[in-house]
Amino acid sequence: MTTSLPPTTAILRAPITPAGEAPSAWKVVARVASTVWSNGKARIGLIMLAVFVLLAIFAPLIAPYGASETGFERSADPSAAHWLGTTAAGEDVLSQLLYGAQISIFVGLVAGLLSTVIAVLIGLSWGYVRGFGADVINFIVNLFLVIPGLPLMIVIAAYLSGGGIGMIIIVVVVTGWAWGARVLRSQTQSLRSRDFITAAVFSGERPFRIVFREILPNMTSLIVGNFFGAATAAILAEAGLEFLGLGDSTVVSWGTMLFWAQNSNALLTGQWALLFAPGLCIALLATSLTLINFGVDGISNPRLREGTKK
Amino acid sequence: MTPAPFTPAPPAANDTLLEVHDLSVHYGYGEYATQAVQNVSFRLAHGEFVGLVGESGSGKSTLGFALTGLSKPPAHIEKGRILFGGKDIASLDAEQLREQRHGGIAMVLQSGMNALNPVRSIRNHFVDIFRAHGHVERSRWAARATELIGKVELTPQVLDRFPGELSGGMRQRVSIALALSLEPELMVFDEPTTALDVLVQHAVMNTIIELQKAENFTAILISHDLGIVLESAQRVMVMHEGRIVEDAPARQILENPQADYTRMLLSHYADPRAEVVELPGFADRQQRQNDGAARADGATHAPTVSPRTRRTDQHTMIVENVSKVYPAPRRGEAPVRAVDNVSFTLEPGSALALVGASGSGKSTLAKLITAVEKPTSGSIRFGDLDVGTLSRRNFRQLHRDVQMVFQDPYSALNPLHTVEYALTRPVINFTGLHGTEARRRVLELLDIVGMKPVEEFAAKLPHQLSGGQRQRVVIARALASDPQVIIADEPVSMLDVSLRAGVLALLEDLREQWGVSLLYITHDLLSARVVTDNIMVLNHGAVVERGNTADVLRNPQDDYTIRLLDAIPNPRKEVA
Repeated sequence: MTTSLPPTTAILRAPITPAGEAPSAWKVVARVASTVWSNGKARIGLIMLAVFVLLAIFAPLIAPYGASETGFERSADPSAAHWLGTTAAGEDVLSQLLYGAQISIFVGLVAGLLSTVIAVLIGLSWGYVRGFGADVINFIVNLFLVIPGLPLMIVIAAYLSGGGIGMIIIVVVVTGWAWGARVLRSQTQSLRSRDFITAAVFSGERPFRIVFREILPNMTSLIVGNFFGAATAAILAEAGLEFLGLGDSTVVSWGTMLFWAQNSNALLTGQWALLFAPGLCIALLATSLTLINFGVDGISNPRLREGTKK
Repeated sequence: MTPAPFTPAPPAANDTLLEVHDLSVHYGYGEYATQAVQNVSFRLAHGEFVGLVGESGSGKSTLGFALTGLSKPPAHIEKGRILFGGKDIASLDAEQLREQRHGGIAMVLQSGMNALNPVRSIRNHFVDIFRAHGHVERSRWAARATELIGKVELTPQVLDRFPGELSGGMRQRVSIALALSLEPELMVFDEPTTALDVLVQHAVMNTIIELQKAENFTAILISHDLGIVLESAQRVMVMHEGRIVEDAPARQILENPQADYTRMLLSHYADPRAEVVELPGFADRQQRQNDGAARADGATHAPTVSPRTRRTDQHTMIVENVSKVYPAPRRGEAPVRAVDNVSFTLEPGSALALVGASGSGKSTLAKLITAVEKPTSGSIRFGDLDVGTLSRRNFRQLHRDVQMVFQDPYSALNPLHTVEYALTRPVINFTGLHGTEARRRVLELLDIVGMKPVEEFAAKLPHQLSGGQRQRVVIARALASDPQVIIADEPVSMLDVSLRAGVLALLEDLREQWGVSLLYITHDLLSARVVTDNIMVLNHGAVVERGNTADVLRNPQDDYTIRLLDAIPNPRKEVA
């Protein structure tokens, strides 16, 4: 594989627009993707994630019935017409599962992205500034770290009850950004004392640019790792909150499926698929993101990247 | 003493302790393999002290690891045999290898000082080894540990300390004592003093030489520094690109080197105290100045007219009674006076050396001059700027004229940015050039530092460059703002000997052609001699000696300067 050569030659040939801009965002994404793909475990994770995303996107085409279409036989066992059986309210489980993927993936990606963005902004500036400002941020972050996550989530969710998916995203982001910020802050502090950062100061760079152009790219793997970790946590938290009945129970998602299955004593009636299918999907989606995380190490280390080509 | 479980072949039959036969060590397999060691053969007799010299990447450490059975994947022995007392080391399994470490082969690593467990006292380290090998009776543990620690010239109190409480030199001595505790037949020292300060380096090396004489073990000293090896070893093997290019007694290497590579290495050593000092690419400084009498007249104190006509206002850096005090590291200790009442002026176009061992405050002084740190007292002025109180917002004003070349070229460049990006940023920030003009300036800078073809180098990432090339990029970046003063903090200490002269010559050229004044911070008195006119010797933050570089080095007055001079490994010392 020639991962590193094309971008560099491209920079050389390109007319120098506002002098020496780094490779475009698309190239960075392509590079990140190819690096992650070159790792075996990460490749499995990516394939799993892709399957889930495709199923979610094309759910309206694939699903045999509508998500909340009722009127079938209630609590039916799996059959040719209903592969995974029906719910106590007479809905098709397979269709619910496919539509439910939309919510889980959406919440996971959006909440993961938002909490990563907050973690990056706070972690990097916290790591770079010294003095009073750093102490203030330190206090706030410690406050969020010291409060147990699930109770906080439940309290906030109960307070914002009825907000639906948006509310769940907010709850997950508010409770989930602090760890990422702390990790990114320590890495920033260790990078800050490196010579090339001092050299950037000598090159007349402003602090903002030093943080986001010199330090940030060196932490790509941490940030991407943080994103997948946060997305995993968000998916689990979303399912957890809805299972507890704190979400909007009229929305069809894996969490509400579990909630209704529990309510209708699905296991007692032998409806194992009703509990098992959404649970397995949540576990597999979380696994796929965790597997992808194995492949992110090489992203911000050009040397590791070249080491992977054979 | 319990008898060694591993009995070497009787020395009576032949005196050979170690025999390496046609050894090749590769990293990786197949056509992608890096052939680090190729077809190396040699033998070592009992009690010999052999040096193994080579520059970085020559395969000397790989060979050392192979000898001690410590090769880790992807490194593996491709072919050949290593016979230690008649047994092939490569054929031993892990347990046999562990057993033979007693009375067999021991190794002292470059980072050996970091090889100590920070939460265990030094005594525990010895006890661990005694217990693992059972070669010392329990009742004699304390006595034996004291004896060993005494051999490396440390006091018994050290045994109850923790590694974090010891200095780098002391820790390296401890790791030598630990290696000795197994009564090895063969000791492999891999760059044992490289990470240490000059003065400490000298003392640890002396300990190793004395020990080898007293204990009469066989020793291999792996080093990049031919000077150190020639001073200590009886026989020297020179390694280059995985092969041994020369294997001869030390004296013969010095007086009559056969291989071109050995000659090249030797040419980079000289005595800074000599009347005339010449290095490859450098004629003697005074002669050069006499030749160019019209240009500089050798008088560096008189502000000479800058060779650069476009700069009209050359400023002088004036440092007056500057001190820097850091708060006490621990409660109850005295605050640290890193810089103590230092004054000097750096005239336009002059070159001043700032020398001293580590901890002498020379790097702190560099930080003060560049406003990275603020002085506790005293003033630093550069033109109209009061550097001592400069706020971060006004850094650009100072850094337009005062730039820095860093010690470690491997960490001074952002690994993710191309050379072009690294150079473009200061060009934009300081000169206001944009677009193609900025690019033209970047290529011009690369041309100045001799990185040709410029287009090709501009597109490279730091890891695709050698150490010397990286340092050239760092210098080019420092030149981007067209500065008046360059502060070079040990610019060559991390580079191979053969690359040093090139970088030094470049700095010298810049000074002559562009009228840049140079503050050269170093512990290496030889390089100070060839690139600077004046010198200041720093000890514990205070200036102990100053004057014309050649005069000071030929006629050192202060005791500390003399110790620094004595610590320099010099292969020709005995001959001279």
